[in-house]
Amino acid sequence: MKPAAPPRSWARLAFVLAALGALACARDVPRAPAGVLVVSQEQQASWIRNFNPLTTATSARWPTLAGIYEPLYVFNSLRSEYVPWLGVGHAWTEGNRVLRLTTRDGVSWSDGRPFDARDVAFTFDLLKRHPALDRRGLWGFLSSVDAVDERSVDFRFQRVFIPGLDEIVAQQIVPRHVWSTVADPVAFANENPVATGPFTEVRVFQNQVYEIGRNPRYWRAGEPHFDAIRCPAYPTNDRANLALVFDEADWAGNFIPAVDRVFVGRNPEHHRYWFPLTGSSIFLYANTRRAPFDDVRVRKAVSMAIDRSLMVDVALHHYSRPADATGLSDAFAAWRDSAAVAAGDWTRHDPAAAGRLLDAAGLLRGPDGVRRLPDGKPLRYEVLSVAGWSDWVRAAQVIVRDLQEIGVDATVRTYDFSAWFQRVQEGNFDLTLGWSFEGPTPYSFYRWLMASATVNPVGIAAMGNWHRYGSPAADRALAAFEREADPAKQRALCVELQRVFVSEAPAIPLYPNPSWAEYNTSRFTGFPAADNPYADPSPNKFDRGELLLVLTTLTPR
Amino acid sequence: MRYILQRLGFYVFAAWAALTLNFFLPRLMPGDPATALFARFRGRLAPEAMLALRETFGLTDAPLLVQYVTYLGHVLRGDFGISIAYFPSPVSQVIGNGLVWTVFLAGTALVMSFAIGTLLGVVAAWQRRGWLDTWLPSTLVFIGAFPYFWLAMLALYVLGFTLRWFPLGHAYGDDLTPGFNFTFLADVVRHAALPIGTVVLATLGGWLLSMRNTMIAVLGSDYVNLARAKGLAPSRVMLRYAARNALLPSVTGFGMALGFVLGGSLLTEIVFSYPGQGYLLVQAVRNQDYPLMQGIFLVITLAVLGANWLVDLALLWLDPRTRESS
Amino acid sequence: MSAQSAARATGVAAWWDAIRRDRKASIGATLLAGFVLVGIVGPWLVGAPDALVGVPLQPPSGAHWLGTNGQGQDVLTQLVVGTRVSLAIGFAVGLAVVLIGALVGVTAGYFGGRVDALLSVIFNVFLVLPGLPLAIVIAAYLPSGPLTLGFVLVVTGWAWNARVLRSQTLALRRRDFVAAAVVAGESPFSIITREILPNMLSLLVAQVIGSTVYAIGAQVGLEFLGLGDVSAFTWGTNLYWSQNDSALLTGAWWTFVPTGLCVALVGFGLTLLNSGFDEITNPRLQMERAWRAHLTARGRTPTRSTPVVRDRD
Repeated sequence: MKPAAPPRSWARLAFVLAALGALACARDVPRAPAGVLVVSQEQQASWIRNFNPLTTATSARWPTLAGIYEPLYVFNSLRSEYVPWLGVGHAWTEGNRVLRLTTRDGVSWSDGRPFDARDVAFTFDLLKRHPALDRRGLWGFLSSVDAVDERSVDFRFQRVFIPGLDEIVAQQIVPRHVWSTVADPVAFANENPVATGPFTEVRVFQNQVYEIGRNPRYWRAGEPHFDAIRCPAYPTNDRANLALVFDEADWAGNFIPAVDRVFVGRNPEHHRYWFPLTGSSIFLYANTRRAPFDDVRVRKAVSMAIDRSLMVDVALHHYSRPADATGLSDAFAAWRDSAAVAAGDWTRHDPAAAGRLLDAAGLLRGPDGVRRLPDGKPLRYEVLSVAGWSDWVRAAQVIVRDLQEIGVDATVRTYDFSAWFQRVQEGNFDLTLGWSFEGPTPYSFYRWLMASATVNPVGIAAMGNWHRYGSPAADRALAAFEREADPAKQRALCVELQRVFVSEAPAIPLYPNPSWAEYNTSRFTGFPAADNPYADPSPNKFDRGELLLVLTTLTPR
Repeated sequence: MRYILQRLGFYVFAAWAALTLNFFLPRLMPGDPATALFARFRGRLAPEAMLALRETFGLTDAPLLVQYVTYLGHVLRGDFGISIAYFPSPVSQVIGNGLVWTVFLAGTALVMSFAIGTLLGVVAAWQRRGWLDTWLPSTLVFIGAFPYFWLAMLALYVLGFTLRWFPLGHAYGDDLTPGFNFTFLADVVRHAALPIGTVVLATLGGWLLSMRNTMIAVLGSDYVNLARAKGLAPSRVMLRYAARNALLPSVTGFGMALGFVLGGSLLTEIVFSYPGQGYLLVQAVRNQDYPLMQGIFLVITLAVLGANWLVDLALLWLDPRTRESS
Repeated sequence: MSAQSAARATGVAAWWDAIRRDRKASIGATLLAGFVLVGIVGPWLVGAPDALVGVPLQPPSGAHWLGTNGQGQDVLTQLVVGTRVSLAIGFAVGLAVVLIGALVGVTAGYFGGRVDALLSVIFNVFLVLPGLPLAIVIAAYLPSGPLTLGFVLVVTGWAWNARVLRSQTLALRRRDFVAAAVVAGESPFSIITREILPNMLSLLVAQVIGSTVYAIGAQVGLEFLGLGDVSAFTWGTNLYWSQNDSALLTGAWWTFVPTGLCVALVGFGLTLLNSGFDEITNPRLQMERAWRAHLTARGRTPTRSTPVVRDRD
């Protein structure tokens, strides 16, 4: 007896499989059409149509902030200089209490209407009326913004506050004739943007990909040199990296492990990367409201125990370098003072010296090798990190290993982001990893590291200065900096800030974060590179418009 | 009829239970969406903007019960609120975007796995102790013991990354416009082959074993022997007499499996960056996007409940006993 | 009562017997025993799992049998240490899930009426709620760690056991010896613990094994999503880090293939063991075994089939 049915079903199954196989092999991986730049910047499962540049509720997309809309000035972080964009110049008047900004002539919105100073005044007024849009906190120091004529806007300040300029010129400008009719700009999805940028026409919007075509009326004649930007939705870093490796994406700002082998190795001619160290500096914050970290010797000892070269190898695949004692990343290279760097010996790996410092601070080793506080309590601490942030977790592992060597019984503790952030903001930690503030000048950076004004009591959430350190010397320098419009004098004040930081060691710098940028030169040329460093190469640098410098330079082959 | 209504009543109750669980669970746990939101800006957001945002999202301090009643009312009207991570899009829009792909992926995988597995089970039972029966169940059970997502990773690595036979992700090519034409549909099949394939492979063993074991029991029963003794064609005996009756337990398991396969396909979606609910859910959880998370969980639950109800209807048709009792 | 302990003893003896005689069951038991041994002894034989031993992402070599991971740690060490935690969570959850299932299911089945109606609705609701999404949502809100993971897995996994054990209790409730105990005025507690549970022992063991398979799989899945404690060393977190370190991209197959294989082997071993138990608890399969032995003893080849008189083809 032979069963009759099975062979037929087997045949059917085989047929289905064969058909699937044939279908599968039918097409090779498609490349985007010529002139379409494929960029992977943010990781999302699917796209939702929203081109609101003012929104604070979600992080606005990079093309919205630097592509569709444009700021008044673009900040070139590599050269540490402003490039006039929608604004062409500014002047301080009335004893530095009024900033007069001149807007560019001959710019038109993508619908053909002319751009002028009233659009600028309107945008700032919008932020005043809707505090939920004021993500930079501009109205914390502004008192009024008025268009004087078609070309100039007056920003009146509540007090003299020179660093306010940096926040004002970074603001993306929206058209008055469109936004004045929007009932709720906070919840406005702005599906069809009218803007001044190089790319304004939303051509395709699907949940897994969107495409923005060039602005036919762009004010920079002849630019952009290519047709459109395409953004595919890749849910994970890994997936985005695969797209890069297989030439599906032209430009990305992701972390890639072993980039030389994984990415460059597959196509040395066209697969390129450049990771300048212009990201935020990563710190180990010690809670200065808790003993023994209120003692500068202990903070310096902890710092000297850490083998930063091993850390950048293990946590960052050698993409970064150990931080110096000023904590400044290369984004502040122009501000860095070599004397301050030389004076900061406490970021050099020297466990023996660290041990001596701890001995001097009265923290002696107990019989089990763990050091004790004067009251006999052992130095037993958790180093906090964020679950899933592999570079941080690894850095924490290195720290823990090194601290154990000098007699501090440390362990790594990871929390989910929000749980971690809550602890850190409220000052509920002993040691934690954390980022630092970025900006055109080191003002915010140092302010949030050691200004007394930024110290919140333990238990009250703080935006920065989580380690809760206030330095009177720094306060004086920062206050002077706020009133100083002369770049040379600003520089001197910044040197003073570095000296204060190096001597007081409010926090422990670990390494500067690289600015991630990988690109494929087979279809486009003109990416910034180490031998052509005209701007930061990363698509992540959209907050102050820097990306616009790249978008207006790239040329299709 | 009473049976159907009774089951429907149960599913409505289950849906309510899910809603309630869904509402209270995140609110009883530590953490606050505003903190997470704040976090996305790495401290760049001014405190005033933060306060204004809280109001925009309706993160009120009203008593839980009041919030609960409001919430139920909104859900009944199909309003899941506004997504925090995708503000200002309503949750229903965010979910609607990817739901069709998840349903397609999980549904197709489940039906294929069920059909192929059951068929193989019939064959295995019929050729008891043949080579198929000896090797296939063990092999498939072994494969089924691997985590879905691990098979998916391996398949992606070997068939996608190394051999480049299949695309590395997404539901269709980026340069295609969705439409009802051959190019698009073929592309969808091509992109779905690996995700569906791995889920089918991982779940095949269960169906096969379930069918095989029941078949063996049924094949020993008197009415099958009678049919055989009457001289009916073996294929007829196997399919019309034995298989139809042996199918009952498998169909009962079908509804249960749906929830399971959905769970597995969520993981698979993440590996293949398939634009469904899988990654969206994980992301919503990470961002503490309560409304979105609630929406996704609810929609998935409702889909599973609906499918279970359909299975009940199918059982009614397959099993005369249920029909008589109702 | 001695009759029951005797029954229990023969039950245990019968299992050992079945495991030894059944090829599948003995393979399963061997696999499992191997992993349990590694889980118990292994961590003492290898070094610290978080020690940085060398260059990251080295392929397998004499020094590092399974290579190093993206952090320059030894993959084999992590696998061995992970075995202990993953198996411990797996078995603990498997046991807990069956205990809770038994408590609810037996109560519902034994008392019937309103108690049954209420409990049935509860476990049926839990049964239809999709497990993984529910687990993800719960796990995301509790502090990450093995306790959270265990809790989540128990919450999403107990209902199935409750349902099965309820029907089994219903069946036993109608049996004469239970009826006799009721008439004799024994308390429900003693009837359940002395008459009903011992008679379900084989089913309970099968349930524990099945639930352990579920628990290990679900645990690995949740940890893979990063919902476990990522600084712990378990199979799931190994896979999580492997994915996090772009194993695909770097071609570091050794960081995820061995772990996946271990998960599969344990699951496979448990399933084989269960099917071995099935042979002794399922009367039909038992009869068939006897029949085949009978035929073989008479020098005939047993064919496919069940032990009924049938045509020879």
